[in-house]
Amino acid sequence: MDWQALLLSVKLASATLLCLLPPGLWLGRWLSRSEFAGKAWVEALVVLPLVLPPTVLGYYLLVSLGGASPLGRWAAESLDVRLTFNFTGLLLASIIFNVPFIVQPVQRAFEAIPRNLAEAAAVSGLSSWQTFWRVEMPLAWPGVLSAMVLTFVHTLGEFGVVLMIGGSIPGETKTIAISIYDRVQAFDLASADRMALLLLTLSLGAVAASFFASSRLMVKR
Amino acid sequence: MTRDADALMVDIEQHRPMAVSGAFSCERGRVLALVGPSGAGKTSMLRILAGLMRPERGRITVGGETWFDGDTSTFLPPQRRHVGLVFQNYALMPHLTAIDNVALSLLHLPRLARIVKARQWLDHVRLTPSQQARRPAALSGGEQQRVAVARALAREPKLLLLDEPFSAVDQMNRQGLYQLLADLRRELAIPIVLVTHDMNEASLLADWLVVMDAGQVLQQGPPAAIHRAPRNARVADLLGIQNRFHGVWDGPARDAGFGLLRWTDASVGAATVRTISVRDKRRIDAGQQVTWVINGDGITLLNQPAQRDDEFAAVVTEARHLGEVTLATVGLIGYSGVRLHVTLTGAQRALVAVDASVTVRLDLSLAHVMPLRNR
Repeated sequence: MDWQALLLSVKLASATLLCLLPPGLWLGRWLSRSEFAGKAWVEALVVLPLVLPPTVLGYYLLVSLGGASPLGRWAAESLDVRLTFNFTGLLLASIIFNVPFIVQPVQRAFEAIPRNLAEAAAVSGLSSWQTFWRVEMPLAWPGVLSAMVLTFVHTLGEFGVVLMIGGSIPGETKTIAISIYDRVQAFDLASADRMALLLLTLSLGAVAASFFASSRLMVKR
Repeated sequence: MTRDADALMVDIEQHRPMAVSGAFSCERGRVLALVGPSGAGKTSMLRILAGLMRPERGRITVGGETWFDGDTSTFLPPQRRHVGLVFQNYALMPHLTAIDNVALSLLHLPRLARIVKARQWLDHVRLTPSQQARRPAALSGGEQQRVAVARALAREPKLLLLDEPFSAVDQMNRQGLYQLLADLRRELAIPIVLVTHDMNEASLLADWLVVMDAGQVLQQGPPAAIHRAPRNARVADLLGIQNRFHGVWDGPARDAGFGLLRWTDASVGAATVRTISVRDKRRIDAGQQVTWVINGDGITLLNQPAQRDDEFAAVVTEARHLGEVTLATVGLIGYSGVRLHVTLTGAQRALVAVDASVTVRLDLSLAHVMPLRNR
């Protein structure tokens, strides 16, 4: 069992969730209540990482974040940060490929809230911030929870993008999914077996738990 | 209505997203009903009053406080208006109990005081403690509405708005809610604005009707006055006035203040039924086609031959006996296009059997003549 890789995967998943949740909530909620020309394009862009092959996404990220790219050069020169083949780059890529996993469920959850509840809250004297916390979040919470679980589990298991942008540097970019691949390559099927089983159990457990929690939390309307 | 400073005063105009304009006012403790068909702009008007929509021009003042003034760009958001709004489908928070729903509009108070106050309001609208602890999904429509009313009142509003408050409540609960509204207007001493498409309900509950159609106010006044004298055929239509007839205005009669109305039967080449003398308000030119109405109170059925100028020979064409009243339709003999609708009670009900001959007597002082077109 490659504990270092498992720990790195959990760290990456947690950091991704932490960075992605606030903007994801904002974007999902905004898309749920805005109608504008070009909304379909924004929504398509949000879903794109879901349908793009991970290697294609990873390739474009590598090209646009690498040391030769303007963004990579700027980060290296002004911030002294490299954006590829290290944890920072991995986190950045992870945030981007998880956008649909957060935004879509959040958008659906907010869309399901009747529009006049926010109006009723405003007439009752609630500020938009109070309306968000006291009315919208409690109602959207099951959707938000499943978005969080999906993002977390999806990051644990992501392979293609991670390999493209991070390589396989132990303790830095070698996640558990990469480690399983390494073990198989080395014909160490026993280790691969254990890690794969752990990942399977973890993923299934998390998704099942989130579904269970969602159904308990769902308010009858 | 008098223009005291505590009243609601509205004079607004907007074109987008839909055209709504109108000017009206309402005193404290009075109920004003915005009535009209769906799409008339009633609900938009209500949203404008609540601050959920901002009109383009005009002015709204409540209790001497300016809520909106297009000239000075004053616009109080709903949070600062102290307005109670009961939504058509109540818009209760599904995740909160009845108490917490009401407590939500009391966030300015400490938590404990909020709950105490919320309980008081729910007691006031007669919800039992066990009902108060339930979520909306576990309450009946009528109970949900009481919660919505309590939530609106907890704001200690300066204006109470009710959007189709009785549409989703069955007939039995309606009576209880009518009573609740009657109690409210007595206790609250604030203007109450009610939106409804049900003219009977509006007439029953309101002191003042504002009849709207296609975003504009067609007519306003006390219900009885509007029913007696609708301003034009469209208003009569909207009010569902059944006793509407055709005629031609023949100009002033011999008696001062009266005019001659030639009652015609539109179905048989505008044959003249009779020329009758009715009150003349000098709004109509001689020779003009008119619509005229007569209040149901002005129609009496008699069991004797027609003799006077205001009596007509007729035959009963339809009689429907409901609980304590009979709805009858009678046709004038010789004029198949002229039918009158009467509601009968008591001994008069015995008069009407289909095909029975009767005499219709009209109290022409209750007849009201209006131009065919023109707003």
